[in-house]
Amino acid sequence: MNKVAFAILSCLGACSVASAQNINWRAFRTGPASTISVNAGLDYGVAFGVAYGRRVSSRVPIVLGADYSFPAGDRLIDDFKVRSGLQIEVIHAGRFSATAKIAGIFRRFENTQALLQNFGGEFAGVAGYYTRRWFVAGEVTFDKAIVTHVKHTKEARDLNPGLVTGWYIPTGGNLLTGVQTGVTLGRTDFTLKAGQVLSEDFRTKPLIPFYTQLSYGIRF
Amino acid sequence: MKLSMHLFATIAAAAIGLSACDYDGYEPNEPGRLVPRTADEDATVPSINANGTKLHAETFGDPLNPILLVLHGGPGADYRSLLNCRAFAAQGYFVVFYDQRGSGLSQRHPKSLYTLKTLEDDVGAVIRYYRRSPAQKVFLLGHSWGGMLATAYVNSNPTVVNGLIIGEAGGLVWKDVEDYISRSRDFGLLSEALNNATYADQFFTGRKDQHQILDYKFALLTSTDGAKDSPVGNEGSLPYWRSGAVVFDALYNLGKKQRPDWTANLAQFRTRVLFVYSQNNTAYGEAHARKVSGAFPNVQLERINDAGHDMISFPRGFANFFPLALTYLNGLR
Repeated sequence: MNKVAFAILSCLGACSVASAQNINWRAFRTGPASTISVNAGLDYGVAFGVAYGRRVSSRVPIVLGADYSFPAGDRLIDDFKVRSGLQIEVIHAGRFSATAKIAGIFRRFENTQALLQNFGGEFAGVAGYYTRRWFVAGEVTFDKAIVTHVKHTKEARDLNPGLVTGWYIPTGGNLLTGVQTGVTLGRTDFTLKAGQVLSEDFRTKPLIPFYTQLSYGIRF
Repeated sequence: MKLSMHLFATIAAAAIGLSACDYDGYEPNEPGRLVPRTADEDATVPSINANGTKLHAETFGDPLNPILLVLHGGPGADYRSLLNCRAFAAQGYFVVFYDQRGSGLSQRHPKSLYTLKTLEDDVGAVIRYYRRSPAQKVFLLGHSWGGMLATAYVNSNPTVVNGLIIGEAGGLVWKDVEDYISRSRDFGLLSEALNNATYADQFFTGRKDQHQILDYKFALLTSTDGAKDSPVGNEGSLPYWRSGAVVFDALYNLGKKQRPDWTANLAQFRTRVLFVYSQNNTAYGEAHARKVSGAFPNVQLERINDAGHDMISFPRGFANFFPLALTYLNGLR
């Protein structure tokens, strides 16, 4: 199988097991098994999103989920990101928990020069102190843009006819390190996370070298 | 169960379809795919060798006529958007265009080889390359960063050029440059232009030696200058060949570090300077134009109506700019 097919199928495979949201592992162990949340913050631009997660019955605590986000702007459907994956609590010792996340990502970007469609993956570790009312944790995430289809616009091709439309692999990756915290009130969760973004060469930074997300969720 | 079957079928169908593709994807840093090949990569690109580099260059008009050397903006842009200036050739000028070192279709270099002084020396090298005799007059036309570079050259060589046209140079001292950049990048936090500039960072990342990737990302970024919510007031996107990300990064960081002042010797340049600014660039304006152009002892300040920052590049702006510039040049030839 060629590299492009393998990369896309790997992402679809991650998506098929389905997420990525901030979870209070103590509050979400019992009671309603689903959670839905809305969020806003900085995610390579000012972004807004909605996320869904569901706890599945298993010996190891697992949450499957998906989220959709889009950056601000006049055209709300030209750029977006869909992420789907799972999060597993791998260590549970008293009030300490460590979890691993894996997610598949599809993202789209369009401007006057190109339409970019990317399949990628997100791999994260989260560890911290959890009670039923609040939590605080550190997180490390590797966001890999595995394969990107670049379609140059007519404007770009008119300027430079030699530009090649097609799949490009690999195309990039960023490392995100930060903290997340949250408060649980009954069946509602308020969470906040923030951190810095560094390119995979550990030297260069994106134009917005940090991320934040404020989220409000309800369990049902 | 139904969902799982559906997902399995989707993946299987995608696998069959994708396996039919007979390529493994393109390497994004391969020359010529995301950005055009440069003069050192493509022998068909017209070029000259000057000051130890290969510069994409073209000329128009009689080589014996007075030289009008056009310096593009950026740093990192190219002269494609200034080709309207070919019109001066029909008016008796030998018009010379070149892409600055590391910009457009000119040869790239490692970041450490880009200095403000080197680019200034390149201007002198290009003049020497084309000048047929000491009697042949030389005029510089610099737009934006090109105006800063032209001034830097005149500041170091006050007796070489016979006239100077400057269009909206950000500043001739670093503080003015910073002020202008800050205003010109003042997009709204929720604007399409800002997010178009930043969102692509998650699709492509490039190491410092992956110039093609960095240039492509820079092109996606700089295309926001044509956005309708950009304060620079352009009528649309600019034509270009390649945006030089590394030379931009190098020179901008050197500027921040060295905080250059290109005005120290300008008092020796007594020739009248034509300094133009645009009506629609709200980040520039008359006050900034007066402040920047005030460094010249003898200046003719003019507003180009019905145009934004790149007033030379679009038809309405050029129609207003050309007669002014021609009258100025003819008065000095």
